[in-house]
Parts: sequence; structure tokens; C-alpha cells
Amino acid sequence: MTATVEDTRPLWGIAQYEDGTRRVPWPVSHAEIERAMGGAVSTLAGLGVTAGERVLWCTLLSEAAHFWPLLIGSMLGGAQFSLADATAPDALRVGMFVRQLEYRAVIGVNEAVLDGFDELERSYRDVFGAVSIVGARPGAYERLTAVGLTPYWFVLCGPAVAMATLPGGPARVDPNEWALTELDGRIHVTSTQPRETAFDNTPTAIRGSLVDETSFYPETGAHS
Amino acid sequence: MTYFDEVAETRSRADLDAMQLERLGLMLPHAYEHSPIVRATWEEAGVHPRDIRSLADFTERAPFIDKETLRHWREDRRDPYAGLLCVPVDDVTTILSSSGTTGEPTLQPQDWGASGGPVRAGLSRDLWMMGMRPGDRVMVVIFTFRGPAFGMVQQFGAVPVLCDYDAGDMIRFCELSLEFRPTGLYSLSSMIVHAIAEACEQGGFDPTDVFSSYRAMVQAGEPLGARARGIVDGWGVPLFEHTGVGDVGTAFECPEHDGLHFWEDDTLVENLDPEGTEPVGDRERGELVATALVNRTTPLIRYRSGDIVRLTRVPCPCGRTHSKLWPVGRKGDGVEIQGRKILPIDVWPAIESVDECSRGLFQIVREAPQMDRLRLRVGYGPGCADRLGAVRDDVMAAVADLLDAVPEVELVPDADLLKLGPPHKIPRVAPR
Ligand SMILES: [Zn+2]
Repeated sequence: MTATVEDTRPLWGIAQYEDGTRRVPWPVSHAEIERAMGGAVSTLAGLGVTAGERVLWCTLLSEAAHFWPLLIGSMLGGAQFSLADATAPDALRVGMFVRQLEYRAVIGVNEAVLDGFDELERSYRDVFGAVSIVGARPGAYERLTAVGLTPYWFVLCGPAVAMATLPGGPARVDPNEWALTELDGRIHVTSTQPRETAFDNTPTAIRGSLVDETSFYPETGAHS
Repeated sequence: MTYFDEVAETRSRADLDAMQLERLGLMLPHAYEHSPIVRATWEEAGVHPRDIRSLADFTERAPFIDKETLRHWREDRRDPYAGLLCVPVDDVTTILSSSGTTGEPTLQPQDWGASGGPVRAGLSRDLWMMGMRPGDRVMVVIFTFRGPAFGMVQQFGAVPVLCDYDAGDMIRFCELSLEFRPTGLYSLSSMIVHAIAEACEQGGFDPTDVFSSYRAMVQAGEPLGARARGIVDGWGVPLFEHTGVGDVGTAFECPEHDGLHFWEDDTLVENLDPEGTEPVGDRERGELVATALVNRTTPLIRYRSGDIVRLTRVPCPCGRTHSKLWPVGRKGDGVEIQGRKILPIDVWPAIESVDECSRGLFQIVREAPQMDRLRLRVGYGPGCADRLGAVRDDVMAAVADLLDAVPEVELVPDADLLKLGPPHKIPRVAPR
């Protein structure tokens, strides 16, 4: 399961991913993060985020190995980025950012953030109405769709990040890094490049149906 | 080796002064030229950067900026950066935000390209000072909105172990500690200390085992109350206090555990009479006034932080020559009850002495600067809703005993107070 990567630097860090039953500690190398930054630049360009625009990322620290390449990828593509925690209390911060500045994209919105807006009695349409790309995680996606918004799927699929390039379109992982399989309705992930931790048909917390080897539709209603 | 960078950390006072003056000489014309609020403030005071030829000129002549000035600029001119942005807006790579303890978070634009990244070099000195070493693993437990705290660990050459700042998830902290055996921990607050203690109990973890690999733990946010401090002492790992320095720099305790060093090569600090402009004496209570010497994106110049500290420039027994401070509280945090000033720090020990209120979550309710009677809003933990009358009596008695003044007490669940703040602290004074 473990492949050795030629890299004399210490590990980038030990993050976490979900395998469907628990959050698993995940040692990650600098080389993996650097490769993912390149993938993130392409993902954001595919979304149509251009230099001079802004992206707000809703993240948790344990997800830093997923998000850090995306943040730096937005910067390398010439966009500005902001950060909020993907927690209910930090809905206040998400609301503050989108009220004060124009954001092309808010990505990583989860159910906790929406719960926070519920507590603040802020409607999702009011908060996100002027944001053209809302990248929503399973559970949040359905709630935003239910009020008439058109979010993009954004899915932490085990150690991989999958994002749609169109509202309602399938979520896609970096084809240079990952291959997906489906077993009993659950998405499994295999790494195709050398990694500190190799993945071979590793189960994820995500249920869905494959479109091809790198993209899938998450099952709606599976997470609320 | 005692130091990460011996030359930088042990410079003589004369060298530090010379370095500060040289950096001021670069910063002041830059800020005056590019920051609208600095330009307006200095023009109004009739002072120009070329008038500043010595540190004495600076402290005698340079005008102040405070939180209110920034707020007015932000609101009146609809400038989200409060007139501080000194680089073209296109050069801004990152827009973060303040924690927002005492109001809505404010925007903090940063230029990671120009600064070479998000992490200041001085933080490596701090990690070394507390006993961490390159190659170590360091547990990072913090929220994400302030930026990549894990970057300071990576820059230092250590490996961050990442754990969410979630009081409900500290069993994971115990598991990660046992599996990866970190030597350092950043960061603890009262809330996280209590949560780890509860997780150890619920998960059947022996704290001695969980903490056996740690050599240093950093506490950030509010100072720990005596009760949380007692729990930490039981873990047997040195605790190092950490605080921000006027939104300009940071300060960490050294192994002497007597004051927090900040690096004077990136932050110029004065300690002034909170109601005036004169410096207070060594180790006396004053208001921290900070000037950025390195941050060219949004430099604060003579920023009256509202933080009350004690400060000394006397070199520390640890050998470091950079000044040390001791956080005391916030200016205006107190309330005057029948002519006597009472600060949150004065009330704290009484609150947490009551078992049901042991997390020390409380606010002074200040409807006016002077009041006849002390009013407190106090948090209680789960499982005591059926005996709140008795809890209230206990709180009133404990406060009366300590302060010789019987307060009015409103009890609310701990969770309600935690919602009011960023995760690591709550506003300690509320207008109602
Ligand atoms: Zn010292």
C-alpha cells in the first residue's frame, strides 16, 4: 500500500480523509501537494475563474491537504482568495465576505455553514444570489437546489477533490492523479501517481454513480 | 543550542534601536505615500516622514491611529481596507479577516507574493525557543480563517499534524497524539483544555500517556483561567502563553515563563498611558501602541491597540534582548462600580470556583461606564438546569466573597456564550 517518493523534505503534513466509516490520518508529501496545485490551476480555469476575480474557500484544518493546493492554485491563476471555516459559527464570516466584496466563487459550502445561516435567519438566496459559482458539498447541494439556486458539486471524495465544471454537472477528480470505481453505490478511489500513502480501490464516504473513470454524480439525499 | 538565530535574538539595545530606525526610515515614506489614512492623519498633525530623524522624533511627533479611526474610514469612505492598503489592489493575493471578538470581522488584505509567503520568519525563533526542533511533529489545533498556521511549522522544518478546532472532536486529538507522538502543540484555549480533559475521560485515555511525547504547548486567545491551568499542569507539559501584538506582530513566552517576547525587528512597540501620550514605567500597566516595520501591504503606524499590557525592555535571563510583555486586558473592558474599577480578570476566579461554571464563561454586562451594581452573565455547563437557583446563589456568594460586592447574576448555558465569539474567546464585556 505504501509507495516511496524520492523527496528528502519532511512530510508536508498529516491531514485526514474520510473512508466511509471514519476519518483516517493521512500523511502527505510536499511533492503531492505541489502536483495538486497544478491540477487546481486547471480546475479553476475550467470553472472560468480568471485573474483579478475572487474565490472564498470554506474549509476545516483537517482538510488542509485537500484545500491548500486549491488556495495556492487560485493565487497562481491570478485570483484573490479568502478563507472561512466550514462551521456554523463562521457563516457570519462567509456572509461578511460576500457582502463587502464581490466573489466569483464560494467553494466548500457544507451543511454546517447553511445551519449557521439558518441560525442567523439569512436566506441562502440572499447570501449566495450574487455569487455565480457556489461549490456545495453533498447535503448542502440539495438544500441550495431546493431554494432555487444552481450550485456546483464540490466533493471531498476520500483523499481526492472532485468538482463540477457546470452547475448540475458531474463532479470530476484530477485525471492525472486519481481513478474512480463504484462498488455497491459507493465511490472508491485509486491513486495513479507515487504518494506517501498509496490508495488502491479505497472506499470513500461518498455514494454516487460513475459517469466515467474520473467523474460521478453524488447520490442526492444521502447526506442530509 | 539555545537560539534559532542567536545574532537576531540577542542584539544589543543599541543595535535594535538602530535597526528599528533604519526600518522606520523605509516604512514611513512608503506608508505616507500609499496609505490614504496614514497620509490624512499625518497631514492633519502637520508631520512629514522627513521630520522623523530619530526614534525620539517618532515617539514625540508621529500621530496615532486607533480602531475607531479605522472604523470611521471604513464606513464613511466605503473602503473595506480602512485606508491602509499600500499596494495596488491587483497585487493583493489573499484577503483574510480578523477574529471578530468585539464586532464583525474586518478585512486583512495580504500580498503573499511580495512577502514570500504567509508566515513571518520570527515564528521559527519562537518554536525553537519553546523547545520544538526541525524534524519534530507538531500538533496544530486551530481554525483556518486566519490563514495557514501550519505554515509556520512547515517553514521551521517540522511536520504539522492537523486537527480541527472542534471541542466536540477531541477524542481525535487524543488518538492523533498517541499515533504520531508530536512534541509541540499549537494551540490551547480554556475551551479546548476542558474538551480534551472530557475526551480523555469519555474515551478512556490516560492523559499522562496522551501527553507523554509533548515538550511544549502553546496557549492562544484569552489567558487560561486557574481551573483550566490546573488541568494543564496535571498533563505535565510546559505551557507557553501566546498573544497578538496590536494586530502587527505576535509574542510568545520563553522558557523563563515570565513575560512574552515579541521580535523588535518586525514590530516597534510603545507602552503609553491609556488616557494620554506619555510612556508608562517599566512593567507598569499601559496601552500597547504598535508600528509595523516589515508589513508593507497594510502597515499600521503608531496604532493604539486598546490592549492593556505590562512591558519591559530589560534583557531576559534567557539571553534574549527583545522586549517582553504581559497581557492584562482590554482598555475599556472594565466597569466602575460605586467608584471602583472592576476588570473581567478580577471576576474570573470567583466564577470558575463554582463547579457548574468551571469553564469560566462569563460577561460583565456594562450598560454604562459607571454602575451602582455589578451585573454578570454567567455560563453553566450541562446537567444542572434543575438547580439553577442554587448555582446562582453560589456564583453571587463567590463573587461577593472575592470582591466584596454582591452582583446581579443572569445564568445562561455555556453554549449560548460560546456562540458569541470566535472559537478561542468570547467578548468579556457586553453592552446589555
Ligand atoms: Zn526570555
